[in-house]
Amino acid sequence: MQFFRFDNLSNFVGIFIGIFSLLIIFYSSAFMRGRKGLWRYYSYLVLTLLSSLGAVFSNNLILFMVFWGFLGLLLYLLIGFGQKENTLYTAKKTFIIIGAADALMILGLAFVGQLTGTLQMDKISIALTSKPAVWAYLCFAAGAFAKAGAMPLHTWIPDTAEDAPTPVTAYLPASLDKLLGIYFLARISLDLFQMNSAMNTLLMAVGSFTIVAAVMMALIQHDLKRLLGYHAVSQVGYMVLGIGTGNPIGIAGGLFHMLNNAVYKSCLFLSGGAVEKKSGTTNLDNLGGFVKFMPITFVSFLIASLAISGVPPFNGFASKWLVYQGIIKTASNGGYLWIVWLVAALFGSALTLASFMKLVHTVFLGQTSSQVRDQKLLPLGKETSPAIWMPSAFLALLCIIFGVFAYRMPLGAFIVPSIGQSVEFLGIWNVNLATALLLAGIIIGIAIYLAGRVTEARETEVFVGGELTDEHPDMRVSGVSFYNTIQEIGFLRGLYKKALRRAFDPYEIGRTITFGFTRILRYIHNGVLSTYLAWCLLGMIVLFYVLLR
Amino acid sequence: MIYILYFIFYGFLLTAIIGLLASWVDRKVTARVQYRVGPPILQPLIDIVKLLGKETLIPRGASRATFLMAPVAGLTSVILVATLLWINNLGSGDTFLGDLIVVLYLLTIPSISIIMGGFASRNPLASLGASREMKLILGYELPFVLAVFVPVIKSGFSIRLAEILAYQTQNGAITGSLSGTLALVVAVFCVQAKLALVPFDIPEAETEIVSGPLVEYSGSALGIYRLMKNMLLFTLPFFLAIIFMGGLRSDGLHLLNGLLKVVGLVALITVIRNTNPRVRIDQAVRFFWGPLTIIAAAAVLLALKGL
Repeated sequence: MQFFRFDNLSNFVGIFIGIFSLLIIFYSSAFMRGRKGLWRYYSYLVLTLLSSLGAVFSNNLILFMVFWGFLGLLLYLLIGFGQKENTLYTAKKTFIIIGAADALMILGLAFVGQLTGTLQMDKISIALTSKPAVWAYLCFAAGAFAKAGAMPLHTWIPDTAEDAPTPVTAYLPASLDKLLGIYFLARISLDLFQMNSAMNTLLMAVGSFTIVAAVMMALIQHDLKRLLGYHAVSQVGYMVLGIGTGNPIGIAGGLFHMLNNAVYKSCLFLSGGAVEKKSGTTNLDNLGGFVKFMPITFVSFLIASLAISGVPPFNGFASKWLVYQGIIKTASNGGYLWIVWLVAALFGSALTLASFMKLVHTVFLGQTSSQVRDQKLLPLGKETSPAIWMPSAFLALLCIIFGVFAYRMPLGAFIVPSIGQSVEFLGIWNVNLATALLLAGIIIGIAIYLAGRVTEARETEVFVGGELTDEHPDMRVSGVSFYNTIQEIGFLRGLYKKALRRAFDPYEIGRTITFGFTRILRYIHNGVLSTYLAWCLLGMIVLFYVLLR
Repeated sequence: MIYILYFIFYGFLLTAIIGLLASWVDRKVTARVQYRVGPPILQPLIDIVKLLGKETLIPRGASRATFLMAPVAGLTSVILVATLLWINNLGSGDTFLGDLIVVLYLLTIPSISIIMGGFASRNPLASLGASREMKLILGYELPFVLAVFVPVIKSGFSIRLAEILAYQTQNGAITGSLSGTLALVVAVFCVQAKLALVPFDIPEAETEIVSGPLVEYSGSALGIYRLMKNMLLFTLPFFLAIIFMGGLRSDGLHLLNGLLKVVGLVALITVIRNTNPRVRIDQAVRFFWGPLTIIAAAAVLLALKGL
């Protein structure tokens, strides 16, 4: 019996779990300073690291499930360190959703044991031909979806992002849970089961739907961390889509995107946390003009935003580009659905860009809100402590490195070996040359500036209609309501209304159903002795009838 | 090293010259439509040189670096796209730099640069204009992506520009088919919006929000934006000519033919902009997500059927 296995895929995921853990612990040392129960907090972080590594390297499904279940519990405990009003409710909700998905996985484990007689992962290879096999795959996939946050099991992520402490969000939902969830999805889809086209189509449908629906929700959010939380959901779509294509290039794209997403999403959360630390709020209405206070954080945030929106030559583009090629490759199998997946993925990318432009404007650029001005966040230009900006700056640097050296570094060293097949590109993206040319272009631009009179540039006041804007706070345009026009268009209006009432949240639906049942039971259990006696009598009559018939 | 030369000569100089000429065509046609004489042929160049000589003003409290570098980023990406299109079209290396998806993404960077510049201006009008630009991107991106994939389907699922061109050299231009024509119509409207020309000049709406994102720009920075827009006025029709009409060819009569395609597209865009009033942003988004997306989807279905 071999309990642990170290192959290319698990090594690759394990290495990055380690890197992210180090960064988050470093960040927490400044962010969480002065709070109570810190020794518990750090021990939970370390336990999370250990159980993630355990889950990634275990070769036995039962051992895997033990580590996996333990992660759900640790997530619940870590969310509890939040200081928002709803923190406890969110922690409970998260625990229930993750727990329910884990229960499904145990069911899947039973199916697998029944089908193959072994629980060693390297010995299992099930064809999706019989019904139990399909159910087993679906149960496992549900667990992976809940962990990574694909729709419809995503609803805990935006809530957690809003209510948990920022380092926890950057650690679990943004990076580790993505790595683990997608690792497991890749493991079952590549090794444990032999996929067929119907199941691939299902994965691609879930992926595309997740991309578009989650990012549409992100567009209209009013809270910095909640908005980022919806993106943490939306990006999962690309990974699921990539793995669902079933061809090497798409899978490589999915895995690459998993890595990239972990990098830029933690960077975004960490920079958002820096803003939160400085201003004490994450409400977008009260932020604005932070570029003056924290230029380094702004640059990191901007790079990560461009990366997540898929702007070349950053890393997000490289992985999305692979996913698109994977989808186009499925086109030769016939059918029309591939164009739907492709357009959803491309359009989702534009929507992502839109919501990040909103964030960049509302938080960093644009005019300073009166709240920020009243708080006097002086002295101007003073960054937060290095332990807070250094991790995000490092991650922003990784966004550039993984983008510019995409072929050599992440793809060549980690991803292609873990798929075990050669990856054949459909398109062309010579990123080294493109970067060199982009630099040349910037030099041309600067040369044009120098040919002009830019050195004599002077600062002027900003006027609108003859009035100084800085003296009239009501003239400030906050980015919060940028996309209200979109919200009001046609059928979207109704959908948004329903979604904001949480009509599509399986947790809320489940809650309504459960409370409906309990209402009936509560009606029966009214505490009146005669009613209970009547029930006993009725039961006895039924019993006698059945037994003596 | 040779690529740097390509970049400077094809991507920058040649594109800039043709772009300035295209801008002159645009202004001349506009003038004729309005019964005016119109500017001399060098006027667009003179405008930019004049702007370089003017003083650059920076709004107080704005992020200097963002404000000044946004135009440069936009210009750089246009040069890069132009280089990519020229080299792929002239066929001196069929694996040059990038494919159709790369072009699609690079073409959004000029818009992003205008948005970032507007945001960095700290002016309410600029913020409003930039947010409209973003909504416009959301609007046209959906039909544009659909339309652009018609040539991909036609050429046997290839996303390499050289292969799409080779397909057209053998089988005739993609506009020749029903699906190709529909897709080209959709794409022309999207290009109109990408260039922010009437009826989709909502982000800049001079009579309403005073050039929107560009309201605080002056001097060299405005000059760079102007140059970028002029270059786009050639690059976007050139892109459409490549994927829908077989591109430019350098031999004899074909060169004239190719130039006619591009000039024809520019003139078409100009005529549209002179014969329409400006729409509201919600009307524009509805227009793109409604009728145009339906037409583009129909074109894609027809292309999949082989029509």
